[in-house]
Amino acid sequence: MNIDFDPYVILGVSPDASFDEIKDAHRRAVRRLHSDTNPNKGAVAQLQDINVAYNLLSEADRRQDYDIQARKKQREFDFVLRVTPSKRSLAPLPEPQVIYLLVEILPDPRALSQAERIQQPSRLNLTLVLDHSNSMNGARLERVKAAAHKIIDQLNEQDIFSVVTFNDYADVVIPATPVQDKAGLKARISMMAASGGTEIFKGLQAGIEQNRQYVAPRLVNHVIMLTDGNTYGDQERCLSLVKQAAAEGIITSAMGLGSDWNDKFLDEIATISGGACAYIKAPSDVVKFLNDHVRSLVNVFVERLQLSVAPDADVRLETAFKLSPNSQPLSVDTAEIPLGNLQVNRITSLLLQFEIPANLRLGFRSIARLIARGDILANQYPPFQALSDFSIGVSTDIDTHETPPALLDALGKLTLYRLQERAQEAFENGDFKEATRRLENLATRFLEHGQAELAEQALAEAHQVAATSALSSEGRKSLKFQTRFLLSSGADVPNANGTA
Amino acid sequence: MKICSNCAHENREGYLYCEECGQALNAEGVSAIRPTKHFEVASDEFSAHATWGTARFDKDATIILRISDAADPIMFQPRGQTIIGRADNTNSQKPDLDLTPYGALEKGVSRIHSAIFRNDDTLTVVDKGSANGTFLNGQRLIPNQPRVLRDGDEIRLGKLIAHIFFKSTQP
Repeated sequence: MNIDFDPYVILGVSPDASFDEIKDAHRRAVRRLHSDTNPNKGAVAQLQDINVAYNLLSEADRRQDYDIQARKKQREFDFVLRVTPSKRSLAPLPEPQVIYLLVEILPDPRALSQAERIQQPSRLNLTLVLDHSNSMNGARLERVKAAAHKIIDQLNEQDIFSVVTFNDYADVVIPATPVQDKAGLKARISMMAASGGTEIFKGLQAGIEQNRQYVAPRLVNHVIMLTDGNTYGDQERCLSLVKQAAAEGIITSAMGLGSDWNDKFLDEIATISGGACAYIKAPSDVVKFLNDHVRSLVNVFVERLQLSVAPDADVRLETAFKLSPNSQPLSVDTAEIPLGNLQVNRITSLLLQFEIPANLRLGFRSIARLIARGDILANQYPPFQALSDFSIGVSTDIDTHETPPALLDALGKLTLYRLQERAQEAFENGDFKEATRRLENLATRFLEHGQAELAEQALAEAHQVAATSALSSEGRKSLKFQTRFLLSSGADVPNANGTA
Repeated sequence: MKICSNCAHENREGYLYCEECGQALNAEGVSAIRPTKHFEVASDEFSAHATWGTARFDKDATIILRISDAADPIMFQPRGQTIIGRADNTNSQKPDLDLTPYGALEKGVSRIHSAIFRNDDTLTVVDKGSANGTFLNGQRLIPNQPRVLRDGDEIRLGKLIAHIFFKSTQP
C-alpha cells in the first residue's frame, strides 16, 4: 500500500522502535484522540492516519517492506516545527484558562545555502485571473497590464503561464503553456480592454481550469485573482471551487484594488486555500504587489503546507492567526489548516489560542498534538511531516518565567487587529457611539505601539463616525490591512543561518 | 480571572492583553489565587474617600496631587485651565503648576506638559504635545484629546508619577 506520510513521524516513535513501543504509542493516541471522547475535528483526522500507520508498522513483513522502500526515497531536505508556549506551567484554577502557542515552521538552512549557490528558482505553474470590468478602465487596467508584462519578463522557459480575464464572461487570453514566446504573450495582454460587470466565479473557474492542466506536485501551482469590484450571488460557488482546487494542489491568492471590493470574501478565498489576500490602495502599487507576490513564489521551498492541530479531549482550539508571511485570520473549523507555502528564506509563523478547562489535576499533561505537512519541492520524494506533541506541567508553584518576547509582541499586535475588528463590528451593527469609542481607544493603542500614522487614521475615522455615522470603505480597509501588515513585518525573522 | 486595570473588563486567566481595550495585563503570577493589593490610606486628608472613583468635582472642591517620593501633597483649587510643566529661564510662558522641585527635569517633564481643565462639575486632563507623554492610569493620552479625571486616578508625566484626589469642602 502507498501512503504519503512517514508512519514513524505520525505515530511519534523512532524508526527503530520496538513492536511494544509502537503498540504503546498507538494505544495512547487512541485514548487521547478517539471521537468517542474527543470532539475536536483535528483529533479525528490525526487518528485516521495513526491507525493507518499502526496497521502498517504492526505487521513485521509490511514494516520491513516499508523500511526498504523508504530508504530508496531520499529525503534531502526537511523542515522543523517549533512550538513556544505563553506559559511554562499551568496553575490548577477553579476557572478555565487560556494558553497561547507560537508555532513556527522553519525551512532547512541547507536549502537556503543551496538556493544561493545554484540560483535555481522553483518552477511555477502560474495563472493570472484579471478583472477587466468597466470600473478597471484607465489607470487601473494600464497598471495591471504593466504588472503582467513584468511578470512575463521574469518567468523562465520551464514555467507554465496562463491568463484569464473576466467581466460578465471569462476569456482565456493565454492558455496554459510553457513560457517561450514572451513577446507574443505580452502582445495578447496589451489587447485587454475594459467593459462589462464583475462576475468572479466565471473568471476563477476558467483560471483554475487552465492551471489544472499542468498541476503537478513538484510545481508551485498558483492562481492570482485581481479584482476591483463586488461579485453578487456567486460567492458560495467561488469558495467551493477554490476549496476543490486546493485539494488538487492549487493555491489561490486574491488581491483587491481600490475600495469597492468585498474584503471578507477575498479573505475567505485566501484562507481556505492557504493563499494570500492583499489590499492594493492605488493603481500605482499594482506592479509592486503582483511582482513581490510572484517573487515570493519563486522562493517556495514547501508547497501545500498544512497544520493539523489535535487538542486533547478537554482542550479547545479557539482561534488561529497566521502572523507571517501575509498575516491573516485562519479558520479553526477544519481538520487541517491550510498555510500555503513555506519560503526558503522565511519562517512561517502562527499563533494558536487554546482554552484549558478548570480544576486541572497536578502533574504533567498533554495539551495538543501538532503535525505540519507539506511537499518539499527540492526533494525527490516531496511529502514531509513534522510532529510536535505539546505537554505542560500543572503545579501550584507560581510560573516565574517571563512570557517570550516574540510571543508578547505578536500578541500585542494581534490585539490591535482584534480591537480594529470589534470597532468595525460595532459599526456594522449600527452602534456608532460604540464604534467611535472603540476607534478612539484603538488610536491610543496605536500610539503606544509607536504607530503615530495609524493612530491618526483611527482617530480620523472615529471623528467621521461620530459626525456622520459613516465609515469610509477605503479607511476601513486601510486600517484593517495596515494592522495586519504590522503583524507580518514584526514577525519577520533573520534567515536560517542566523545572520540578518 | 484577570481584571483589566484600565477598563475593569474581566478577562479569562492566561490573557496577556485585555480583549476589551488592549491594555497589557501584567503577568504578576496568577491573579486569581493572589489577594488584590489595596491602596493604603495613610492620613486623614483622604477622609473624603466615599467619593473614590467619582468624576464629580464639586464647586469649591480642592485637588490634592500626591507626587510619588514627595513628602507633602500639592493642593490647589483649579480655575479654567491649569498648565502643568516645568519653569525654565529660557521660556517666557511659565506653567501654572511648576514641577521643578519634584525632579521634573530628570523625569522628562516638558516645559508645557499637560493641562487640567475645570468644567462645570468635572475635570479633564489634556496632553499639550509633551515630548515624553502624559499617561492616565497607564494609558498614553493622544495630544490635545481631553480625558475625564476621576478621584484616585494616576497621572504620569514622562517618568513623574502623581495621584490625584478630590477634596470636597462639603461634609
